Amino acid sequence: MAYPSSSVVYWFRRRFGISEVRREKLVLTMTRFREISSAVVHHRMGGIGVAILAFFVTMALVAPLLPLPYWDASLFPSFQDPSWAHPFGTDQNGRDILARVVWGSRVSLLVGFLASVIAGVLGTLVGLVAGFWTGWRDEVLMRINDILLSLPWLALLIVLAQILGGQLSLSVIILTIGLTSWNFTARVVRAQVLSVKERVFVERARASGASGITILRKHIFPNVFPLVFANTILTVAVAILSESTLAFLGKVQVGTLSWGVILHEAEASSAIINGHWAWIVMPGLSLVTVILGFSLLGYALDEILNPKLRER
Amino acid sequence: MSAIQRVILRRLRNAVITIFGIITLNFFLINVMGNPLDLINRAPNISPTIRTDTCIRLGLCGPDGQQLDLSQRFISYLKDFFTGNMGTSFYWKGTPVIDVILPALGWTLLLIGTSTVITILIGMVVGALSAQMRGRPFDIAATGLGLFFYGMPFFWLALIMQLSFTRPQFGLNWWPVFPSSQEYDFSIAVFSWTKVSNLLSALYHLILPATTLALGTVAGVALVMRNSLIDVMTEDYVVTARAKGLPSRLILRRHVLPNGLPPMVTLIALDMAFIFGGAYQVEYVFSYRGIGWVTITAINAFDFPVLQFVVVLGGIAVVIANFVADLILLKIDPRIKVA
Repeated sequence: MAYPSSSVVYWFRRRFGISEVRREKLVLTMTRFREISSAVVHHRMGGIGVAILAFFVTMALVAPLLPLPYWDASLFPSFQDPSWAHPFGTDQNGRDILARVVWGSRVSLLVGFLASVIAGVLGTLVGLVAGFWTGWRDEVLMRINDILLSLPWLALLIVLAQILGGQLSLSVIILTIGLTSWNFTARVVRAQVLSVKERVFVERARASGASGITILRKHIFPNVFPLVFANTILTVAVAILSESTLAFLGKVQVGTLSWGVILHEAEASSAIINGHWAWIVMPGLSLVTVILGFSLLGYALDEILNPKLRER
Repeated sequence: MSAIQRVILRRLRNAVITIFGIITLNFFLINVMGNPLDLINRAPNISPTIRTDTCIRLGLCGPDGQQLDLSQRFISYLKDFFTGNMGTSFYWKGTPVIDVILPALGWTLLLIGTSTVITILIGMVVGALSAQMRGRPFDIAATGLGLFFYGMPFFWLALIMQLSFTRPQFGLNWWPVFPSSQEYDFSIAVFSWTKVSNLLSALYHLILPATTLALGTVAGVALVMRNSLIDVMTEDYVVTARAKGLPSRLILRRHVLPNGLPPMVTLIALDMAFIFGGAYQVEYVFSYRGIGWVTITAINAFDFPVLQFVVVLGGIAVVIANFVADLILLKIDPRIKVA
C-alpha cells in the first residue's frame, strides 16, 4: 500500500494506522460483539431490557427537542390533577410533571453511567491485583472490601457525600456512588482471575518469561472483561438507585432535576395526603422501569457470557 | 489443631480486623465531616468560658481546655468505645447515646425480624417452585415480578403502599393516614410491652412497614434460591437420580436441597447490609422511629456521637452475621473443603 507523500500523514499512519494484525483482531472483536449483541436481542429477557433502555435513552437524548418546559417558573397553576394539558399534573411551583419526568431521565441516566464506569474501573483494578498477586495485597484489599461491604451503605453514602462537599453537586454524587459501589465487581473479578490464573496459557506465558503486568494485561484481562461488562451493567442499576435514594432524602443540590428529586418534592408537598397519585407514581415508575431494563440486560449478558451458566 | 479450627480462627481474625477497620474508618469519616466547634466559634459574643465548657463537654477539648488534635481524639474515642462510653447526643439535649439508640434498636429489630422471617419463608418457597417449573409460566411470571421488585427503591415502594392503603379514593382505606406512620398510636403516652392494647397497636402499625420491607427483599431471596437450585438440578447426580426413577419430591429433598441451600445462608447474611439500608428508607417514610430514622435525623443535625455509634453498630452486626453464616456453612455444606 502506497503512503501519501505528506510526512505528517505518513507518521500518523505509522503511529495509529491499522496494521494487518490489528485489523484481524478488530474484525474478530467486531464479530464477537455482533454475536453477543444478537444473542442479547434474541434472549427473551435481554430483548425486553434493550427495548426499555432504548426508549429511555432516546427520551433523555431528545428531551431538549420536545416542547416540554421544565424550568423553575410558575407557568401553570400549582397542584393540578392529571388532565389532557398536563398528563401527570403540575407540582408545587406550577411546573408540568411530565416535562420534569422526561428531563429527569437525563440526570438519572448520566449519574448511572458515569458512576458505574468509575466503579467498574476501580473494581476491575482491585479484583485483578487481589486475584493475581495473592498474598498481602489480596489480604489488604479484601479487608477493605469487607469493611465497605459491611458498613450500612446508605449512611456511608450520605456521610461520604457530606465530606466531599456539603452541597451535593452532580459530580460529587457521581464520585461518591462510584467510590462506594465497586465491591461486587471486585469480588467477581477476583474470583475469575483466580481461576483463569491456573489455566495453561498463563503458565506458558510465564514460562516464556512474560512479566506479571504483561500476563495480566494480555492474557488475564481479556478473559475477565466480559464479566466486568455484565457486572458494570448491573452496577448502573445500583448507581441509579443510590442517586434516587440520596435525592429522595433531600441530599442533592437544589436545582438538580432527577427522578429522586421529583419524589422528594412530592413527599415534601404532602402529595400522599392530598392524593396527587401521578406525582408519586410516574417518576417512580420510570425509575423502576429503567432499573428493570438494566437488570434484564445485565442478567442476559451474564447468562450469555458466563461459561458456567451457558452450559445449562 | 485441626484444619477446621484453623479456618475458623482465620475467619475470626478477619472478622476482628474488619470490625477494627470499621471503627477506625468510622471515626475518620465522621470527623472529616466538619468540626462542631466551628459552629460555636461563629457566634461573635460567646464568652470564652462557655466555649471551653462546651468544647470539653463535646469531647473536643481535654480537661485543661486545650483543643485536642485528631490523633488524641482518636485515642480517646477508642478508649471510650471499648469501655462502653458512647458519649452524649448533641441533638437530643445531652441524652446518652445508648439511651437514644436502645429504644430505636428494639423497634428496628422488630421490623427487620418480622420482615426477614416473611421474606425467607416466601422467598424460598417461590424460588423452589420456580426452579421446579423452570421455563413454565409460573417461573417466568415469578422471575419477571422478582426482577421488577428487586430493582424497586424501598422508599418508593413505601410511598406506594401508603398511597394505596391509606387513601379512600384508591379503594383501600385500611389505615387512616396518620396511624400509618409511627410505631404505635399517638394516644399512647408511655409505651409498655406488657399491655395488650399497646401491643395490638404496635402490631397494627407494624404490618405496613414490615410488608413493604419484605416485598422489597423477597425477590432477591427467590431469585438466588431459583438459580442455586437450578445449578444443582443440572448436576450429573441429579440426572442419575432422575434416570433411576426416583420421584421428583424425593430428589428435591435428598439431592437438591442439601446442596442448594448453603448459598442461601451466605446470601441472607450478605443481605443484612441491604436490609438495613432498606429499613432506613422504610422507617423514614413511615416515620417509624427505629435506627434508620434516628440515623437520618442524626445526619441532618450533625449529631456525631449518635451517628458514629449507629454506623459502627450496623457494621458490626453485618460482620457478625457473616461470621455466623460462615460457621453454619462449615457445619452444613458437605462440599466445603478446607483450603
